[in-house]
Amino acid sequence: MTLFRRMLIEEYRMHTELFGERRFAVFPLFTALLVGVGVYLLELTGTEMDLVVAGLFVLVFFMGLQVGTIGLVGRDAMRNVLGDLTLLVFSARTLPISQRRLLSTFLVKDLVYYAVFFLTPIVVGFVPLVVAGELTVAEIGLLWLTIAGMFALGAGASLSLAGIATRNLPALLVVVAAIVAGAVLAPEVALSLTPYALYADPGVATAATGALALVVVLVAGPLLFEPPAEGGVRRIDNDHYHRLRALGGGFTARPLLEVYRSSGSLWKVAFSLGVLFAVAALLLDRIVAAMNIDPSAGIAFGTLLGLGTFTTYNWVTQNDDQREYLRYPETMAAVFEGKLRAFLLLSIPTGLLYLALGGVLFPRPELALGVVVFPLLSVYVFGLTAFLTGLSPNELLFDTALFALYGAALMVVAVPLLVAALAFDEWALPAAAIAVGVSLVAAAIGWLLVGRTGPRWEQRLRTEG
Amino acid sequence: MTAIQTQNLTKVYGDVRALNGLDLTVEEGELYGLLGPNGSGKTTTIEILTGQRTPTEGTASVLGTDPVAHPVEVRRPVGILPEREDPPSFLTPREYLEFVGEVRDVADVEERIETWSAKLEFQGVLDTLSTDLSEGERQRVMLAQVFLHEPDLVFIDEPLVNLDPLMQATVKTHLREYCEAGNTLFLSTHFMEVAEELCTRVGIIANGRLVAERDPRTLEEDLLETFAAEVERSAMAEVGHS
Repeated sequence: MTLFRRMLIEEYRMHTELFGERRFAVFPLFTALLVGVGVYLLELTGTEMDLVVAGLFVLVFFMGLQVGTIGLVGRDAMRNVLGDLTLLVFSARTLPISQRRLLSTFLVKDLVYYAVFFLTPIVVGFVPLVVAGELTVAEIGLLWLTIAGMFALGAGASLSLAGIATRNLPALLVVVAAIVAGAVLAPEVALSLTPYALYADPGVATAATGALALVVVLVAGPLLFEPPAEGGVRRIDNDHYHRLRALGGGFTARPLLEVYRSSGSLWKVAFSLGVLFAVAALLLDRIVAAMNIDPSAGIAFGTLLGLGTFTTYNWVTQNDDQREYLRYPETMAAVFEGKLRAFLLLSIPTGLLYLALGGVLFPRPELALGVVVFPLLSVYVFGLTAFLTGLSPNELLFDTALFALYGAALMVVAVPLLVAALAFDEWALPAAAIAVGVSLVAAAIGWLLVGRTGPRWEQRLRTEG
Repeated sequence: MTAIQTQNLTKVYGDVRALNGLDLTVEEGELYGLLGPNGSGKTTTIEILTGQRTPTEGTASVLGTDPVAHPVEVRRPVGILPEREDPPSFLTPREYLEFVGEVRDVADVEERIETWSAKLEFQGVLDTLSTDLSEGERQRVMLAQVFLHEPDLVFIDEPLVNLDPLMQATVKTHLREYCEAGNTLFLSTHFMEVAEELCTRVGIIANGRLVAERDPRTLEEDLLETFAAEVERSAMAEVGHS
């Protein structure tokens, strides 16, 4: 219990130290407000609440996957993301506590911590629906319980998959392939094994089947996981650095190599955008079925993939200590120009591949609009993210004011584009013109912001306390 | 010729006065050591002199350039080694030094990489990912990046950290030879032995002020006296404030 309590305090202090106590304290309130407003607006547009809740379950599952991974990536990777810190979970070498126990406690701590600070505010955001008579109090309670379960399923799945990976990599591929095949071929069965089943159809039977996968991953994860042994010494006998330098110098080659050589390699770029692509495809499919309109797949894919490139920005800056660049006789503007080239070289081909895949799922000529919207929006996302967060996009997490500003700036562009996507069925030409126009303006703003980012951050880093 | 000059250099972080009117002069060819305890203002001094931070008050000149007004220009003829900094994890030392060479416009960078890796004995790991290097090997790579462009002036924060005794001796010899060739070295450390053994002049910094400058040969006895006086002065100032 002492270990659990200490880890909980450690997590809280880490967040308040990183983002400031007051800003962090406001974050749950902001989350509740954001969800509340979102739910209200969706309600106004006549969107089915079942669809919204199903989307929430997907989101929470991915959040769990992400949180479950971060404790397992090792001290060096944590340092790259969060700076120089030492966590209790890494203290197996100095304390008489097994790595397995440390890890299990760490996982439970994460579940409790995130349930309090994130999942509860999300559920609070749904409370207005009780007032509107859409949901009952009992359903709100069930929603909290089942999304907490879904989050735990994501975190436990991460741990289990990492556990399998540490023992046998081919086995990991087999398990992942089996899960994906199950989800695609028999989605109803797959869903019945998750906590979502209990929410969708409350009962003893669904409670039992819905808890099955959760119990398996929570037991298997800590049992399977072996702390990674010290990796071997990796020698590089190729001239990738020279070749990549030809694409725009050292400030471009370096982030490209860092993304390629760090955990997950280029797959992490594809995976991050793939999640956005899957969400867009799912929404398009459901909107067609539920609302009897046929939105523009090109604008919808282009918009969501474009907005999703903030993940690519995260990858190209993941290994940066921004103060390092102040040691060189180069401006920060040159650094950001290099990052922009690396960002575009990674995000544009990946996004275009997904758009091509979108063409297979939704074979229509208007998909070409996505080819216009996506790259233009990517430039906007780069400019905005770089301008607001510099080379530390993780600052967005938990910094309420910055997060709100960033969210608002994305919404300003996303809303007209998504409205244009929905209106395309009725007014194809004006909708297409609006989508292209908004994207062009956004790209111009993004470009302007890129130009201002270097001087802004140079000044900020030199004067910060 | 004066290599470094500061007047009334002051830096305030919130309630903390990291530098409190620092007046300092270092002549060309000197191996100057800034000695002081943790938190005395050594790192802030180096950061201001290399254009990485702006002072709250005061002026500075480095090789005739104002680091506040011209932060990029001031970094061209100097080499910088901050404390506790590693080469980028996912580049090899060779790639990192090529990156530094490009940023610093070094024409014959490959030749210099061979020279410096031989001198600091890391040829064997030139093509190994930096994340897989030992602490000592990383420090040697970082020292190489300082001298790669043959700078006229070098700022080093704790030069011997993580190095084994043999490599420490090699580095000390190199630093002396570097200054004998007419270059200037500004070294910051909290190890008295390092300052004593290496430097031609030592400035003692406490509470953001230069409290004394000493000949390294008489450093140990002077130091105790100086710090005792500084502690007494700080205590008196505290009493005066309250």
